[in-house]
Amino acid sequence: MIDNDRMNAEVAVFNFNRVPQNIYRFMDMGTSKPWLAIAARTNVGNTYTLRIELDKFPNEIPKVFVTRMLTTRSGAPMSGVSASMHTLSSENGRTRICHYGSQAWNPRVTLFKIYAKCRLWLEAYEGHRATGRDLDYWLKHQA
Amino acid sequence: MENINMILEQETLPLYFVDKQELDDYGRGGVGSLAGVSYEWEGEQVVHLRTRPARHAYGQVGQVLFTRDPAQAMSASVPLAVLVTEHDNGFSATVYRHGERQDNVNYIPARDELYSRNKGILELNILESKTVAIVGLGSFGSQIAIELAKAGVGHFKLLDFDRVELHNLARHTCTASELGRLKTDAIADAVLGKNPYAQVEKFPVDINKNLSLLDAVVRESDLVIVATDNNTSRFNINDALVRHGRVGIYGRAITRAEGGDVFRYRPGGPCYTCLVGNGTFSGEEEITNEASARRNGQIPAYMSAADAQTVVQVGLSADIQPLCNLMVKLALVELSRGAHSGITSLEQELVYDYYMWANRRERKYANWHALPGAGPMPTILRWYGARIERNTHCVACRSTQSTEIVADMDQGEEYARQLGDNYDGLELEVED
Repeated sequence: MIDNDRMNAEVAVFNFNRVPQNIYRFMDMGTSKPWLAIAARTNVGNTYTLRIELDKFPNEIPKVFVTRMLTTRSGAPMSGVSASMHTLSSENGRTRICHYGSQAWNPRVTLFKIYAKCRLWLEAYEGHRATGRDLDYWLKHQA
Repeated sequence: MENINMILEQETLPLYFVDKQELDDYGRGGVGSLAGVSYEWEGEQVVHLRTRPARHAYGQVGQVLFTRDPAQAMSASVPLAVLVTEHDNGFSATVYRHGERQDNVNYIPARDELYSRNKGILELNILESKTVAIVGLGSFGSQIAIELAKAGVGHFKLLDFDRVELHNLARHTCTASELGRLKTDAIADAVLGKNPYAQVEKFPVDINKNLSLLDAVVRESDLVIVATDNNTSRFNINDALVRHGRVGIYGRAITRAEGGDVFRYRPGGPCYTCLVGNGTFSGEEEITNEASARRNGQIPAYMSAADAQTVVQVGLSADIQPLCNLMVKLALVELSRGAHSGITSLEQELVYDYYMWANRRERKYANWHALPGAGPMPTILRWYGARIERNTHCVACRSTQSTEIVADMDQGEEYARQLGDNYDGLELEVED
């Protein structure tokens, strides 16, 4: 589970990458289910909130959710596991993003990097909404 | 004409085995006659005579009388008896079957004699006092546990939540008769079979869900064998090893055991995260079990069962033996360090943090040289050791403050450039 040292280091990395402090907040720290809430805006100006669960971070890949259920261009909820759409099984009505594979994971990976990858996922998602192409068209698969 | 088996059966005298420690305990105990248990391997003329039931019985079970009274032992009405006699140097056993004295009585050695053959090579008193935790009791952990028991290690902590399954049998020490058993129970029996005096604690738990237990186990151990099949558990164990300053020996095979590697953590040296996090270490590894690999994320959730089967590629038992063997030797060197035993010289040989081994010139090793004439070039069936530099800012083993951890973290600068600044006016709206 994330400790204070690691949290402070993550904040330093966010600062280094000029991520303003008003767009993220560490939630429920000190409990068994800490998580990070962080806002994201895509290039076309849509905003989303991401939930990054930190109960097993950094030794395990954290679950990342969009805090609502996204839908495909055809209106279907993005609730299931999909290779072409880069999603995993949703929980509590939230679309879950597939962002890292186990072979690529190690405890040095920062929350900023996860955030950045999820930003790219959101761009691909909006590409899908605009064109109907699966997210696979823009995103590489993780090992 | 008599057949060969009949001739052999007539000519083979029964072999009796009496546990020397039990005999001594009975002899010193001062009790009268004692109803013990006999275990006879049917048709094999082998009988084990025990004062107390074995935890897991074997062979055909019968009764045997342990007594100090010669008349009682020699009575024709007693089917099987052990006459215990005291001598200057301990107790001896004479076996009677319906009053008829039996030859061929053998002793299962007492504690101090059990590993006498190792004397001169290993410091038995030291190993007997050591505690080894083995996390993961698959094809690696099961073999290593038994080898360390054979070497005379006295205390074991066994951790695994799996049961023995059919697909394990080709490489595991367990047999078909143990299918369905918890691996902790089965390997505890195997360890006790080799060293009945070992102290074995069993923890059939998923350590990734019981980090406080893992922490306690590591703290109470001298050395940890890391034989799990996923990096999450290795990182969690690494944290505990660093926290408590314990030695860890990691081992794994890569796809179809075409090769593998072994890593040793010693307090103050590079840790597993220094190794994996530096970008030179391959994340590829052997996947032996679909369910386990799905649980660990090694097989993505969206991969079909048919596709997953192509990813599950298990190597030969013979291909993981060298890896297990080196792990055992490293463990014995570490447990015996400073004891001036017969393996002290290995302290000068096994100096590396990381060892590589290739079994076949395939895929990752396809460009390696053929064994004949390889000379100094990399080839198969040889160990290659490497020193790994400790990362003083490592997120796991640093002794520094959080501001210095940042230097080791993957800060994602490339992603930051791709994203640009797009934060103006953005506000967090927390919906939970």
